[in-house]
Formats: sequence, C-alpha cells, structure tokens
Amino acid sequence: MAQQVEASSTPQQLEGRQLVEMMLVMAKISCFTFGGGWSILAQMQNEFYEKRGWVTQEELMDFSSVGRSLPGIMILNITTLFGYRMAGVIGAVFALIGLVFPPLVVMCVVATFYTVIKTNVWVAKALVGVRAAVVPIIVDAAIKLKNTALVDKATFVIMVVAFALCLFTPINNALVVIAGAVAGLLLRGGRKDAVS
Amino acid sequence: MLFLELFFSFLKVGFCSFGGLSMVPVISQEMLSHGWMTLEEVADILAIAEMTPGPNGLNCATFAGMRSAGIPGALVATLGVMTPSLTLCMAAAAFMTKFRSNRYLGNALYGIRPVCLGMLLMVLVDMSSENFISGALPQIQLLWKPILIAALVLVLLVRFKWSIPKTILVAAVLGVLFC
Repeated sequence: MAQQVEASSTPQQLEGRQLVEMMLVMAKISCFTFGGGWSILAQMQNEFYEKRGWVTQEELMDFSSVGRSLPGIMILNITTLFGYRMAGVIGAVFALIGLVFPPLVVMCVVATFYTVIKTNVWVAKALVGVRAAVVPIIVDAAIKLKNTALVDKATFVIMVVAFALCLFTPINNALVVIAGAVAGLLLRGGRKDAVS
Repeated sequence: MLFLELFFSFLKVGFCSFGGLSMVPVISQEMLSHGWMTLEEVADILAIAEMTPGPNGLNCATFAGMRSAGIPGALVATLGVMTPSLTLCMAAAAFMTKFRSNRYLGNALYGIRPVCLGMLLMVLVDMSSENFISGALPQIQLLWKPILIAALVLVLLVRFKWSIPKTILVAAVLGVLFC
C-alpha cells in the first residue's frame, strides 16, 4: 500500500514485517549492483518509489547528493540515509545489513577460491591479462573524476602537489586527503558558489 | 592485534572514499605497508571486486580481510569500511535538510577531489611499472603483450563504452591465449 510521505527529515516508522521486507529488497538490489554502482539509484527508485511509494523521487535525489558529498562508500551512505528515513537508526542498520550480506558471502567464497587456484598455470596466465586491464580501468575512472575534480587552476595545482607528495614521500594517503580538505576550505572558506 | 590493525586500515579506507575508485590508493598503501598483499594481488582484488555484485570498496575490504585473517578478518574489515556510513552519515541523516546544501562540505570536496585524482595517478604509475616493465634502469624491458591488452581495454572502455566486467573477461581470455 502506498503511503503518503511527508517532506521532512523525520523518519517514518516502518514496522516488523516491513523492516524485514526493506532488508530483503536491499539484499536483492545489492545482488544486481556492480562496480561503483550508479544503478543502485535506479533500482531503489523502482522498488521503493514506483512499487511501494515509501519515498519520493526528490528524497532519493537528496540521499544521492548528500551521500556522495560525505566520506565513505557512496552506496553505503545512500543506503544509510534511506534506511534512516524509513525507520530511524534501526531502519538504517536493517538496510545496511541487507545491502552488505550478499557481497560479504560471495567475496568470502571467491577469496577462498582465489587463494587455491591463483597458482594454476592457466589462471596465472589469465591474471596477467586481467592485471593489465586494471590499469585502463583506473585511467577510465580518473578521466571521469577529472571532470568534477579539475574545475580551475587551483585544483590543478592541488592535484599536482598531491601526486608529487605520493611519488616522492612515504606520506600516508589519509593525511593527503585531509590536507586537500583543508586546502579547499582555506581557498574557498564559506563562499556560497561551491563548485560541486 | 591483527584485527585491530585491519579495522583501522579499513576505517582509513572508508573515510578516504569519495566515489568512483578514489579508495584504491588508500587500499593499496595499507595492504602494501602491512605486507598483507602484493601490488599484483591488489590489482587482482580490484578486478574481482568489479566483477562480483556489491559496491567495490566493500568487496575489496571483505576480500582483503578474508585473505589476511579468514572470515573474522573479513567481518572486521567490512565493519571498518562501513564505519563512516554508520557514524558521519547517520548523523547527517538526522539533519538531512541542513546537509543538503552545506557550503563548507562542498568547499572541502573542492580540495579533496583533485587530491584523489593525484593519488589515483600515483597508483597508475605503480601499477604500470609493475605490469608493463621488467628489470630496473638502465636495462628496462617493455612487456608488449600486457601493454597491448591494456591499450585494447582502454579503447573498449572509453571509445566503445563497454562495461568493465566485459573488458575484464576479454583481458583474461587474451591473457590465457597470448601471455
């Protein structure tokens, strides 16, 4: 039954069976999400807006934009925001468990398998090809990131400095990220016209 | 102790994830500095994570945890990488309307995104020298077969917009046939 959703950030209260239903649907969505996983939004729209009417499209857009701008795995962030909207902290935890469980099981199996077959001659040959492919996959990701990352001269300089720091010093990556956040805030402070 | 180290490593990975493959440099550094994996294995998990269901960062964490400390390791690493969502994002959820257009958040990201790009370039240098070159200066040899496979995959991805799992399969087949 479609529920009327109010446009506020207070959670609605899904109960018992609905909570479990949400968890199972998240598990199903998780099984069809690959890679960086933009498809998760389309799937959530289909399951929770079109089929169940639990959220509005505007809310889904908000989950996506907030989830993307916070640190953490984007899909997990979006799921947390959605689950919280459905039933507070409990809802978020249920949604996350649903999302995480299938890949957790699959990866445990795959990791065990990998350790056993890695040294097989044919697998080793295939892996030489696969490792070569990982380089252009990262190039592709970098090209996509470039469009939102390099918006002016200052951001270009920040990129070069970060690269040089990683290349010539053993600095921890987490520190470089924090330095980047500080640089962003120093350069732009509280200016409104955020380039995001 | 190992579990604590795994947790903190993936806590770092989680907090340094900003979409796309931005978490790869941190994963790579954490795995190598703790001696949990070689650079080759990092490339392998990345490919495997792309081909199995679930978000990449999560899959990498589970895989790395499993490789270094079995199923408990997988659980601990997964929990580590989930922590930013369980804390920061949960807090944000309660104040959704304020977070929707926070300028400070946007301006911090303005500085973070180019940093992620710079770190990704560093990973590219590392992985290219690992996969495409053998020997040390001044007698370096280019490994032509992997280079050609990489070039082909790049064209398939960028020019023909193939999906990543498909290109990985092609690369695996070419590897079996020619490498």
